[in-house]
Amino acid sequence: MTAEGPGVDGAPRPGNIYDLGYHSYDGPRLGRPQAIRALFAHTLKTCFGIGRGGRAKIAPVVLGGLATIPAIVAVGAFALLRQAIGTSDEIQQASPVQHDTYYAIVTIPVVLFCAAQAPEVLGRDQRHNLLALYFSRALRRVDYALARFAGVAAAILVFVLLPQLILLLGFVLSAEDIGTELGRELEAVPAIVGQALIIAGLLGGISAAVSAFTPRRVYATTAIIVLLAVTPIVSTVLIELGTTTLATLLVLLSPTDILEATNAWLFDTRPDSGAVRQSDLPLAAFGIAAAIISAACVAILVRRYTTIAA
Amino acid sequence: MAVIALESLTKQYPGVTALDGLTLELEPGIIGLVGSNGAGKSTLLKILLGLIAPTSGRATVFDLDVQTRGTDIRQFVGYLPEHDALPPDTSATDFVSHMAEMSGLPRAAARERTAEVLRHVGLYEERYRAMGGYSTGMKQRVKLAQAIVHDPRLLLLDEPTNGLDPAGRDEMLELVRRTGTEFRMTVVVASHLLGEIERVCTYLVAIEGGRLLRAASLGSFTERTGVLAVEVEDGADGLAAALDERGLKARVMGRTVLVALDDERPYDLVRDLVAELGLPLVRLEQRRHQLEDLFRDGPTPDGDPASSGAPPRGTVP
Repeated sequence: MTAEGPGVDGAPRPGNIYDLGYHSYDGPRLGRPQAIRALFAHTLKTCFGIGRGGRAKIAPVVLGGLATIPAIVAVGAFALLRQAIGTSDEIQQASPVQHDTYYAIVTIPVVLFCAAQAPEVLGRDQRHNLLALYFSRALRRVDYALARFAGVAAAILVFVLLPQLILLLGFVLSAEDIGTELGRELEAVPAIVGQALIIAGLLGGISAAVSAFTPRRVYATTAIIVLLAVTPIVSTVLIELGTTTLATLLVLLSPTDILEATNAWLFDTRPDSGAVRQSDLPLAAFGIAAAIISAACVAILVRRYTTIAA
Repeated sequence: MAVIALESLTKQYPGVTALDGLTLELEPGIIGLVGSNGAGKSTLLKILLGLIAPTSGRATVFDLDVQTRGTDIRQFVGYLPEHDALPPDTSATDFVSHMAEMSGLPRAAARERTAEVLRHVGLYEERYRAMGGYSTGMKQRVKLAQAIVHDPRLLLLDEPTNGLDPAGRDEMLELVRRTGTEFRMTVVVASHLLGEIERVCTYLVAIEGGRLLRAASLGSFTERTGVLAVEVEDGADGLAAALDERGLKARVMGRTVLVALDDERPYDLVRDLVAELGLPLVRLEQRRHQLEDLFRDGPTPDGDPASSGAPPRGTVP
């Protein structure tokens, strides 16, 4: 089949003599790639409440604010102090808000963002019977699952990277020697981006996979919060009790502990979490755990959408 | 060229056979797919869309296998599902243009076509409002709009008049008829309401229990639909028995006796018998829309219609 064939029998359709506002379409048909692109963009926009009512924007705006405000405050305070005192290096070092500490600052907003927005995107399609419409268009079920996941992950990426970008620009622009500062900041970029990708893959994968199993938003949101917030508590308690082997295994399944460990791994710092420290595992192991869990979640997601009734 | 071709298409669910060895070729046109609820209409449409896989057999659309060439086919197919399928917090404009992009149209074209199509189905200012506040009729129009926005060559409509009031049904059927005839789309309309389907389509396919009852042009269906309805105050059973004695197929439905009209003979005979028996005659009319009788008797055209119970009006029993 050619993409531009206009009529059923290959002949061009006759012009419409009634002005009904409807004409045949002879323009380009971009097929599956366009459908995948459109679904990805739609997911990204939906995560931030774009193209929908005001109520849909509350969660992303509030959580985005919570994640970004520390960066803005830190940059502002740094600029003011530098003008007042002068020596910028010590002030900058003394600030608790740094690239390597930012993950700890945004953990709660980013977890809540995932718990609020992934069910919004995925549960909505099931709640309103939209899957039949999506699956009857120019894409495959696998494409649907992957485009939705990629959209959620991209939204998390934006969510995590935006404050880091503010921090980076703020530090560079308010530095005495912009060139030196820029060089130093750019050294941190691989770690920033690497950690953001791990966060997006792991939290995006978990929250999308959970959301795919229920049309009910409340259930999905609760399940995601339980998975992300309760596992570290369990692992900490187990370590306190001294059952080390089990706790070690569990800490490799606890998403927030994993992310803390990869953060320390990538930025070459010491992890704060007692569970991560006491597990005595090499930090790279957490990177591997993150990759495996992300991949498993995506596989579950694909499997779910290739078998779900539509 | 057959738009749709089915080769002993079978779909089995645990405990239920939804489609049972359906073999059929459909030419371009407006095709009515008739059958009672559970006859397999929706299952057939979903197989054509690749939404569900057949248990055995083969189905092709535009000569492409639905199993392997799904995305190629679906670029040129529009689908109106039976159930509600609209997100309430999105406007019709945003939703329909998103669906157009999902069918492969570039963004600018999708927006342009959306405006045209929404006008075509009769949605104006309200198209910028969230669809949660729409009436059933408006929702049904949006569902039609999203099905035709990418100018498909094949349009599959599953119960398009579902939930509409009589005026809404008329408007929807008129839209379907116009879409099919003026834009030369092949349209398959699935419905359990024969009276409706008869008004828009040129070809009828009747299925029951997943099996093909009959597939023919509408003309050949209606040729055999003549029925004379004789309504009497009482004595309907006696009249039917008397007609039976004289070799006419008659059936009692309440106070009405239905007589098969194969030729002119029954008119005189009924008149004479009514007079002879002294029955209080209320009404004598030739009825159309009796396709349901035909469907039920389809496999055995010479069977005795009187032996079956009274069919509910307007639906396939």
